[in-house]
Parts: sequence; C-alpha cells; structure tokens
Amino acid sequence: MKKIELLAPAGDLERLKVTLLYGADSVFIGGQKYGLRANADNFSLEEIKEGCSFAHKLGKKVHLTLNIVFHNEDMDGVYDYIRDVVDCGIDAFIVSDPFIISYIKKNYPQVEVHLSTQNSTSNYEAIHFFEEEGVDRIVLARELNKKQISEIIEKVSCDIEVFIHGAMCTCFSGRCALSNYVTNRDANRGGCAQVCRFSFTNEGEKDFTMALKDLNMASYIGDLIDIGVRSLKVEGRMRSLYYLATVIGTYREIIDSYYNNTFSEEKLKEWDYRLSRVANRETSTHYFMKEADYTDQYYTGRSEVSNQDYLGQVISYEDGYLKIYERNYFKVGDSVELFTPNGDRCVFEVTKLLDEDKNVVDVARHPDNIYYVKVDVDFPVVEYSMLMINN
Amino acid sequence: MKLLVEVSEKDNLYLDKSDGIILPLEGYAVESTCFFTLEEVCDIVSQSKNLVFVKLNKNFMNEDIEGLKNVLVKLNELKVDGVFFYDLAVLQLKKELGLDINLVWNQTHMVNNYKTCDYYYSKGVKYALLGKEITLEEITEIIKKSKITPMVEVVSRPSVAFSKRKLVTNYNHDIGKKKGNTLQVIEKVTGGKYDLYENNDGTSFFLDTITNGTSIIKDLYDCGCEFIIMREYGLEDYFEELIIDTKEYILNGCLEKDYVDKYKKIGDSTNFFFRKTIYVVKKK
Repeated sequence: MKKIELLAPAGDLERLKVTLLYGADSVFIGGQKYGLRANADNFSLEEIKEGCSFAHKLGKKVHLTLNIVFHNEDMDGVYDYIRDVVDCGIDAFIVSDPFIISYIKKNYPQVEVHLSTQNSTSNYEAIHFFEEEGVDRIVLARELNKKQISEIIEKVSCDIEVFIHGAMCTCFSGRCALSNYVTNRDANRGGCAQVCRFSFTNEGEKDFTMALKDLNMASYIGDLIDIGVRSLKVEGRMRSLYYLATVIGTYREIIDSYYNNTFSEEKLKEWDYRLSRVANRETSTHYFMKEADYTDQYYTGRSEVSNQDYLGQVISYEDGYLKIYERNYFKVGDSVELFTPNGDRCVFEVTKLLDEDKNVVDVARHPDNIYYVKVDVDFPVVEYSMLMINN
Repeated sequence: MKLLVEVSEKDNLYLDKSDGIILPLEGYAVESTCFFTLEEVCDIVSQSKNLVFVKLNKNFMNEDIEGLKNVLVKLNELKVDGVFFYDLAVLQLKKELGLDINLVWNQTHMVNNYKTCDYYYSKGVKYALLGKEITLEEITEIIKKSKITPMVEVVSRPSVAFSKRKLVTNYNHDIGKKKGNTLQVIEKVTGGKYDLYENNDGTSFFLDTITNGTSIIKDLYDCGCEFIIMREYGLEDYFEELIIDTKEYILNGCLEKDYVDKYKKIGDSTNFFFRKTIYVVKKK
C-alpha cells in the first residue's frame, strides 16, 4: 500500500523548508501570479526553483497553485508563466479552470494536474469528467462526509486529496463573491477579504458573524487512510513557522503511528493538546461524521487568541547553548520545551540566558533579537528546532 | 436579442410577455427563491410557445446522481430549450447518457473569460451565463471572441454566495428565536444589506440592492448578445411593466432613450459593469 501523502502549505521559502523538515511529503506554494493568496509573500521564479531543488533533494514534491478564476486579461502571459514554472521543476499544478487544465495536459504531460478545491467537486460523475480530461488528482469539496468520500474513491481511478486541518470557508469554495461585493476585492482571484468573518447585524438584534471553527481531523487520520485517500492537506500558507512546525510535525507522528501500529488514544490526547496550543480558534470535524450544524460556527462575542507560547526559533546548538531568534518574552526560571524537526522533544528549566553579545541576562524581552539558552540535550538539535513555553 | 425571465412567484410566469422562462427545479437548483417541480415543468413546457430553460445549478452529492440522471432524461424527452448547470456531473451525464439537451454553463462567479467559454463550447455546451462580477468591457469581449452563446443577467438582485450550511437555522438557534428560513443581514462597516434564503439544500445570499443594467442593454444588443436575463425577486412591483417595455425596447433596436430614463427608478447600482474588482499580488 502506498503511504498517504502529508501535504503542507508554504507561503515562502523558509516555510517550505520548515514544513518539509518537519515531515511533510509535499508542499503547495503560490507563485506571484494566478494563485488565490495574493497577500501571501508568494514565490518568485528563483525561489520556486530553489524550493523545488530543496524538496527534490529530500525526495519530496512541490505543487504550485494556479487556481484563480481567470478573466480575459489574466490569460495574457499565462502560457509563458506555465512554461517558466515547469522549467523551475514543479511537480504538480493545482488548477481550477478546465481550459488551463487542458492546456497543461497537452503541452506538459509530464507535470501532474490537481483539480483545486475551488471547484468544490462533490460527486463521482464530476470526477469522471475531469479524469477524462487527464486530471491526476481531485482536491475534494470540504462539504463531504466519510461515506461520500469513500464512495467516490471506490468509483474513480484518480487520486483523492482532502483537507484535514485549518481554516474553513463558510460557503462552497468558488461559490462566494461576498468579498467582491463588500470590499471590491476579488475572492476568486486571490483577494478574498474573508467577509464571512466580518461583523454583521440584524436590525434590533446583537452583532454576529458567520465564521466557522477550524477543521481538525487528527482523530480520523486512520479512517482517511483506510478508505484510500491519497493525500492529506493542511491549510495555511500564511501561518507562522511555529504553527507549521507544530501542525506538520504532529500529523507526521499521527500518520506514522498508524502505519507502524503504535497509535493509541493516549498519544492522540497528547497530539490534540499540541495542536490546540497553536490554534487561535476552536476546531471541529465539520461534515466528516455528521451534517454540519450550529456547533461548527461562531456567532457572537469571539476574539481570536494571540498565541504567546512560541518563544524562539533555533539557529544552532553549540557548546551547550541554543542560539535562538526570540519571538516571545521568557525568563530564567521558566519551564520550556524544545522540539526538533526529527521529532525529538525535551522539557527543561531555563537556568542561564545570554544576550547577543553573550552578556548574562535574566529576561529575553526583545522579539527578533538573538539570545543563547543553556541546555544539555542528548539528541541532535538542528536549525529550525523550536522553543516553546511548557504549560 | 431575447429576454429570459426568472420569476419569484408561480402565479404569473409572463409566458406571453418575455421570450422565455428559466425554471429552477426543486431539489436540483439553488440561488433562487421560487422552485418548480418536474410535473410543473412538464405543464409549463406543454403550454408555452416560448423558450423554457430549466436550472439545475446545485453542487450534487453522490446520492443525488441517480435522481439527476432521471431528471436529465425527462428534460431531454420534454425537449426543453436548455439546462443551466454548475456541477460538471451534468455535462458528464449528458455525454454518458447520450442526451441531445442544450446546456448553459452557469458556474455563478466563474464564467469570466472567452477561452474557458470556448473550452466548454468544445465540450458541447451551447450557452454560458456570464459572471456578474466582470465589467461590460469584459462581457463584450467575451461576446465578440467566444464561439459559445453568452447570456447576461442585466437586472436582478444578484446571488452573491451559496453555502451548504443552514445559516439561518443556525443563527436562529444561537439567539433562541423562532424558526424561519430568511434573514436580512447588514455588514457593519459598509452598511451593505444581504438577504439570506435557506432551504434543504443550503443558504443563498442575495444582494439587497437591485443591479440595474438597463443602461447596458443597448451595448449588448450592438455587440450581438443573443440573450439577456431579468430576475423578478425584489422587483415584483415593476417586473411585468419592465419586461413588456424591455421587449419593446429590443424590438425597436434599443434606440429609445426614454426606456433607460424610465427605469432609473429601480435603482442606480450597476455593480461591476463599470467597476473592476481588485486583487493584490505583492511584487518582489
């Protein structure tokens, strides 16, 4: 049985490296044109090339989003752009427009084409249409339950990808132009302003939103593997390095535990706890096990939690000191946890702290500054290891 | 140029006043407020001398497919003039079942360029209902360059989003209010109003403001647009008069300036006909 793919988001080159090092099998990225996250940093052609090279050396893959809904003017230059990013070495395009699909399949048959969730594909007959067009993979609509996904997999031959973690749209993907009408920003060309999270009123009643809780499928990874899903996708190209390291590292452990028969409910509690530490919203499995209902939404009085757990990113470990970029305040005496891309973890108390000039200090209070933290560990500590508060 | 209408009540279908009607099929259509059963569609087809299109624009689930096959076969037998579709299952089933039915590509916010229109034309799709978030300039370019036969919705309260979720029910549950399937919401910063309409298939969002495209009908006529569409929802007080006048306006070559002046009364919003949407891509 081919092992299921863990597919991670990467908004820039550093995120690409972090997600791959923390266990993603593939990453999806956006170039500077034609992607649906126009406000992410996105990748220049040089960065795409470097990202592909980095991934391929690890035996991993890079998928590129090309999933805007094209207007006439957007077609100018798209052929050149496709040629250029193919030359950079990408492994797959994520596309929503069937004209673009047909163009890529005709001219670059060596590159996979994945149908974007922007098409909200929700049944096997629609998939048969795209299979006949040569599409290699379908990213399913997020409105499907386990039985529906399973039935689709039984009836189609292409790969099936599903979302497992991250933010959700209130409406069918691609079937929402609220952003266009409320803010004049084109939802289907990368400008979505997430109007469903805006505050609305209903005359005479309290203010409310139509925002959704995030998706979290940690408890059902085994089910998704069993029914034959090919790829598990994590949402969030604009999320922080710490978030990505934690989420991808955690799902890597969950998936591996399922394949090597070490999965347990006790471990699941620990993984759930880790995921909750980086979440800024509550989570739900939405449609997977039931029809979505009022418990999956936020309506009133909710502010997003700013996470202060992340203390710093490790640059190196030498002579018993972690060299870190500080991200949040911490001090001598704090209990902290170190975790690495290899999955090693340890908890320790901060006993000695040095600033960038190696002066002894009691407090690390300046984000983006460099500090040295004394610790003895018996496992390799590599770049992009993370330091967090131990609650 | 022909005028198609979608009504908001079954009492008056305006069959003798427009060139044709669009009938959203109950259980198979969304983003409408008035739905027809298959039996009602049969009756209307039998009594109408004008065009009859049927709307099947839902995102279908596996369990809908058998029913969808039966509906498509029936509509094929009825020889309706066209079927509006969103889900590609409809196009696939047309091919698999060997149906001779005309299809209208109706992916609400996605019908935005002539090359993709031509792609669908090459797959046997005859018509395309153009997106409502593109400009008149883009519309006319599509009409001129595409082989497909475009349709343009010129007067309506546009559907702006659709969710599978029961958003009105959920809201009512949250505030402990009585049941209902409609809700008007106001976006707090802009003051923009949206009407939510919920049924078993989910929740449709309609803009509360009428998009008045009467002033662009002449441009569409001049560039060879074959179909325009008007929807009655929110326009009930004016609709019959509007479609009669529009028919006459078209018959007279769209030359009467009084027509456009007269219908300024339904509002001055032209939405995206003369306003481009924006999106930001950071440059390095």
